[in-house]
Amino acid sequence: MNRTLDITGLTCPMTWVKTKLELERLAPGDRLEVRCAAGEALENVPRSAREAGHEVDVDGTTVRIVRR
Amino acid sequence: MSGLSGAELERYSRQLVLPEWSEAAQLALRAASVLVVGAGALGSPVATYLAGAGVGRLGIVDADTVEVSDLHRQHLHFTPDLGVAKARSAAAKLGFLNPDVVIEPYQVRLDAANAAGLLAGQDLLVDCSDSFATRYAVNAACCAAGLPLVEAGVLGTSGLVMAIRPGKTACYRCAFAEPPPEGSVPTCAEAGVLGPAAGVIGSLQALEALKLLTGVGEPLVDGFLQVDLTTLAFLRVAVARRADCPDCGGA
Repeated sequence: MNRTLDITGLTCPMTWVKTKLELERLAPGDRLEVRCAAGEALENVPRSAREAGHEVDVDGTTVRIVRR
Repeated sequence: MSGLSGAELERYSRQLVLPEWSEAAQLALRAASVLVVGAGALGSPVATYLAGAGVGRLGIVDADTVEVSDLHRQHLHFTPDLGVAKARSAAAKLGFLNPDVVIEPYQVRLDAANAAGLLAGQDLLVDCSDSFATRYAVNAACCAAGLPLVEAGVLGTSGLVMAIRPGKTACYRCAFAEPPPEGSVPTCAEAGVLGPAAGVIGSLQALEALKLLTGVGEPLVDGFLQVDLTTLAFLRVAVARRADCPDCGGA
């Protein structure tokens, strides 16, 4: 399953809270595309996702995560 | 069950971001009813953390009123509360802390006669009482009802914490078969207690309650933690269930 999430209007820690909870609803191997604002979210969300063991690819302000 | 609201996501964001925590854990807390027996030195941190964490319904059992000598260690009560029932004083502060939690004060002392009624509809009991009589009554009632509980005690600068799943793990009476003889152990009033010592033990107790309610982490079952805060010695003592335990042996 592929999902998209827009967190451009959010600030830390809600950026990762929303992303993490969306990932919890997915099955392993599912993909989540997260639209981030440039800056803090774009730094923190990919890092938090990698630390949680997910596969992460950043393209501009779009963070693509494959749930572990 | 509906998911978490935007306001709940904000309020609980600092625990939701934990790798160990999850929306499922938060929803389990919201669905839970917990009875806290005692709104004193242990009950203050326990009820504060459980209300803050988002337990759905919190019962507070305490028959006493606030005295000036309580205030150094019972942080839910303040000087203007002197003479007020502790259950009511605690409920007021917990309501300020988290208005989403249903707080139910009971101005009674839990005993063998009223225990079953107080335990009905609860998912967990946290024993923050200050007497062996209540502690043994709580353990017996929880074993009879199959209700998980977290035991603790604090005296001076040392304390003890134990998580119990009746019928599955060792109960308080498996560890301590009989209450100490009357008069052999000083009461809190005689021996004194340091506020932060009670705070440490009560915080550990709250943590164990969260573990039992959510399944997050490894609860302190089949044993107890003995804490000496003068030397900072934390000793985990293993306890096995006893087949002849009067409280849980037949369970």
